[in-house]
Amino acid sequence: MRAGNIDRVKRQLLHDAVTDNLDTIRGRLPRSTRPAQRAGRVWLWRMPLLLIPLTLLGASYFVRGGQPPRLSDFPARTRQPRAAVLHAATIDSIEPVKAAAFPLAVKRVVIDAGHGGKDAGASSASLITEKEITLDIANRLRALLQSGGFEVVVTRSDDRMIPLRERAKLANSSDGDIFVSIHVNSLRSHTVSHGVETYYLGPTKDPLLTQLAAEENGASGYSIADLRKLLDRVYADVRRDESHRLASTVQQQLFTDLQTVDPGLENWGVKRAPFIVLVATDMPAVLAEVGCLSNDREAEMLNRAQYRQQIAQALFRGIFEYARKGT
Amino acid sequence: MASSDILHVGIDLGTSRSAISASNGERFVVDSFVGWPADMVAKKILKRNVLIGHEAVANRTMLDLHRPLERGLLKEGSDKDVEAVRELLKHLLGLVGAKKNGKVDSNNVRAVIGVPAAALRTNKQYLRNSMKGIVDSLMIVSEPFAVAYGLNALLHTMIIDIGAGTTDFCVMKGRYPTEEDQRTLTIAGDSIDGHLLKLIEDRYPQANVTVFMVREWKEKFSFVGPPAQPALVTAPVKGVPTELDITNEIKAACETILPPILETTLDLLSRVEPEFQERVRNNVILSGGGGLIRNLPKAIEDSLKQVGGGKVTYMEDPVFVGSDGGLALALDAPDSDWERLSA
Repeated sequence: MRAGNIDRVKRQLLHDAVTDNLDTIRGRLPRSTRPAQRAGRVWLWRMPLLLIPLTLLGASYFVRGGQPPRLSDFPARTRQPRAAVLHAATIDSIEPVKAAAFPLAVKRVVIDAGHGGKDAGASSASLITEKEITLDIANRLRALLQSGGFEVVVTRSDDRMIPLRERAKLANSSDGDIFVSIHVNSLRSHTVSHGVETYYLGPTKDPLLTQLAAEENGASGYSIADLRKLLDRVYADVRRDESHRLASTVQQQLFTDLQTVDPGLENWGVKRAPFIVLVATDMPAVLAEVGCLSNDREAEMLNRAQYRQQIAQALFRGIFEYARKGT
Repeated sequence: MASSDILHVGIDLGTSRSAISASNGERFVVDSFVGWPADMVAKKILKRNVLIGHEAVANRTMLDLHRPLERGLLKEGSDKDVEAVRELLKHLLGLVGAKKNGKVDSNNVRAVIGVPAAALRTNKQYLRNSMKGIVDSLMIVSEPFAVAYGLNALLHTMIIDIGAGTTDFCVMKGRYPTEEDQRTLTIAGDSIDGHLLKLIEDRYPQANVTVFMVREWKEKFSFVGPPAQPALVTAPVKGVPTELDITNEIKAACETILPPILETTLDLLSRVEPEFQERVRNNVILSGGGGLIRNLPKAIEDSLKQVGGGKVTYMEDPVFVGSDGGLALALDAPDSDWERLSA
């Protein structure tokens, strides 16, 4: 290696080491276990702003006699004062709700094609981008679902940049029964291995949420313990169990179907993480990472319409399976 | 603050030994043992609240002795182990003169601490919190990474760091090592000690031998392959100091680490992009106390022959290679980064 090269690599390594430490300070997932290059990061950092109303919404959900919450019930984005009033009286009166109380018949599916517009998402060496892949798969999935008798709402039908918050809002206002967000991984730590994984919202061991609660604490006047309690109640709700079930069936189907065409595919399983689209949607919601662009071979496969159709079919079967068992 | 007031240090927080290299030119190494007097009597005799390093080992009968990173991990939920890490760090900083009025002045110390890769992987957050408040700014990196950085071995190299509690492997691919690039085995110096003690006890059932004696003998005689000299040691047999020949035992114990290390080396190699494998094979660097095992580089080279041959470099100064690498990182990091890394 030439001297100039060494310096450049060293600078990069040093930068990576510092970033890794800063991530630890902030309590974020280690780089290697978190999906790379997601625009959601920006929103993730704004999550404290959303968390308060959302957690309170979770609280009010139970107070209102177990009616599923609809954002449209509240004046959009101005519910904080009202919720804050509710808050004082309700923290201790919340009871977890049994899933059986909500017989779920899935009629309307919200499909969210990740990224779009100037937010291209991950990209591969051959320059196919995540936004193109997700949109194509979403369109294919929509056709499949519609022919299967489902109603479908899409958060984007063309190459547009839509903020995650807007996506969640659209999903909520369209009365969707479930929410499926489609993404593609690009992990620099996984250039050789590749796999599929599905996320749902839930308490992670990730200290991020505690951190967020702490950051918000100063402004909100709540103690961390109160916030934590609120979050836990949100997690305890029926939506999480349903999201988990949806994530499991989708992941299962994705893996078993895709493995037949790609024997090297790894099952990275069902995971919990606080992605904003999952936090902000008030229906069972999952985020599927259907492939890995950092793996050259898989990038090449994702470039093929046939493989994308197979992914869409796997997602469809996962959703169908979930809906079938739920009724 | 003028930058000349700032002391940069690199610390290799090892399972057996911990080393520190400071920007003022000081370098020290201590055994990673921390002991507190077990009772009032011990406290009276030792006249100290805490003993560290060799002193702690020497007075172990009177101490509540801790090795904070045993097996490469900082045990969660053990306050004593956290306290031991803190004492160890303070002690190291004291040695290089980061002290004011006898107390460590934390206001102007920037430290890069290299820890076993396994510790970093499992409880990074916990580790960082445990070291809070000791230095002004803190960066924690994996030990093999610090070694690689210090040696400029950044691309297409493999570091094999054989410590006491763990053997850490790291393939440098010109990027910050991810989990995929690293492996940790708990087969290392300690496991050799365990085997050696058992073998000696089997052969000389009458002899009175402790793990501490065994460790010293290993450090003096360790080798794999053909012996260069007989390993003769003295131990009490029924109370009488007696000379024992432990050459075969040393060889057998040291060679227990070979199969897992060779297997891991080949496994990691097979995961390197095919076109770079040869370069990595020719850039294997052995560090840590295990690097001192005679013939070990050659044994690894022999096993590399089955995949096309390779070259293993043995570090002449394996003790400080990690802390020196940490110091290099500390000095290279810009002020703006350090300001964000306050601890």
